[in-house]
Amino acid sequence: MFIEQCAYVNRWRPVSPAAKGLFALCGFVAAFAARQPVAGLVTTGLIFIVTLAGAGIRLVPYVRVALPALAFLAISCLSLAFSLNPGSDGQGLALQATPAGLYQVAEVGARSLGALAALLFLVMTTPLIDLIALLRRLKTPELLLELMVLCYRMLFVFSAAVHDTLTAQSARLGYATPRLALRSLGGLTANLTLQIWQRAHDLHVAAQARNNDGPLRFLEPRFTNVRRDVALAAVGGVVLIALTLVWPA
Amino acid sequence: MTTMLLELADVRFRYPDGSVGLDACSLAIERGSRNALVGANGSGKTTLFQHANGLLRPQAGTVRYAGEALDYSRGGLRELRSKVGLVFQNPDHQLFSASVQEDVSFGPINLGLDEATVRRRVSDALASVGMLDCANKAVHNLSFGQKKRVCIAGVLAMEPELLILDEPMAGLDHAMRVELTAVLDGLQARGITLLLATHDIDFAYRWADRIHVMIAGRCSASLSCDELEDHHNALSEAGLPLPTVMTLHRQMVAQGVLPQMTMPRSHAELLDQLATREDQHRKQETPCH
Repeated sequence: MFIEQCAYVNRWRPVSPAAKGLFALCGFVAAFAARQPVAGLVTTGLIFIVTLAGAGIRLVPYVRVALPALAFLAISCLSLAFSLNPGSDGQGLALQATPAGLYQVAEVGARSLGALAALLFLVMTTPLIDLIALLRRLKTPELLLELMVLCYRMLFVFSAAVHDTLTAQSARLGYATPRLALRSLGGLTANLTLQIWQRAHDLHVAAQARNNDGPLRFLEPRFTNVRRDVALAAVGGVVLIALTLVWPA
Repeated sequence: MTTMLLELADVRFRYPDGSVGLDACSLAIERGSRNALVGANGSGKTTLFQHANGLLRPQAGTVRYAGEALDYSRGGLRELRSKVGLVFQNPDHQLFSASVQEDVSFGPINLGLDEATVRRRVSDALASVGMLDCANKAVHNLSFGQKKRVCIAGVLAMEPELLILDEPMAGLDHAMRVELTAVLDGLQARGITLLLATHDIDFAYRWADRIHVMIAGRCSASLSCDELEDHHNALSEAGLPLPTVMTLHRQMVAQGVLPQMTMPRSHAELLDQLATREDQHRKQETPCH
């Protein structure tokens, strides 16, 4: 929901998604091309500043969206940094962190942070409907796009259905004890299964009523100043990549 | 050209679970008119609507559009659905695109129109329901009333001759109902024939030209609002009361508050009649100089 809210109210909402996509892509390339951990961190920092200062994304929602990914990254880095080796006396196992391992952690961590920053820049400044339109222009297979559209829409319909059912169950003490909670969760799952089937049928009928007999086709949104935005994004992206490439090894 | 746009003659339909959808249902909708379909839950209103749009096919009887029996071939249904628009009761069952503009464009694109025409129609449809400012909003960020309007716009963009709305007022607050009524008035002024289902008999009496009463899958009566006073049994058989304005007016006439005069269609009209009567009284009581 934080991603949704930011994507709709940020300063760069009217900017062409092609431009934002290009800049994010350049961010990815720059992050992976970084030969030094410091270069990766500089890339991360620059994209972070562009997202907050340029697009006007607030720090709190940004951090809250980034936290799960950061936690995942931290766990991955820890498993990279330490390794289990036979003990020095030849008996037992010892947890060891080697300088080479730590450097690898810094390298992978910095690159991952850069990629994460680029991804967050894109999703927090661009609503999914614009991204889907962009993917359509990029000739993504129709079936995949239809699935994306339906999943995106259904996400909100079902979150409302889950919320309503949970509220109705809680109001009748459905979660008063662990045993009741388990029973209520079972009821919720069964109820949702039926609802999913019913909703899918209803949507099919509604689509038929509006003359649909095949692929789901929609009008694509229009953006002004696309060329200017794409040119600016390209310049910014090239600067990012160049910076990481010329960073002293 | 026939004046009847949609006709059902002796239509029967039974669902696979055995429940009766329509039972020898006959009904006619006049071109350019406003029609309200009233009846209890499960009386067959939605089933009738789905027959009108060709979503369901009668097991017996005939459905005619503009004098012609419906053609259930792919091409025939395509033509029918471009002329008969159906707005479902629950907007979440109809809206499946991510953004307002996309969803409204769905019907016109399915009609095979070019992009410029689709854009014009989407813009016109959103303007006519007062939702042009929300064109780029995500559907899930809209209120219930706004979603209903987007549903109507999605069907209007197909420029139907007959617009069918399944309980459009359900779940709307008073202000939204007033707004939606204004939207419907605007559509009728453009020549669109309207057929809607409602449980609100006061609204039906105030708004419609004809009221069709459904009982157990059968259209038991089709009455013009002027005829309703003399056929109140048709409503009571369906478990519906008389419109409150009609009951009030009768009481006032019986108690001599109002003289026998034209039956008002709304409380506002009744208040006007009372005000006129009061003026007349005042003039009579003022001594002549």
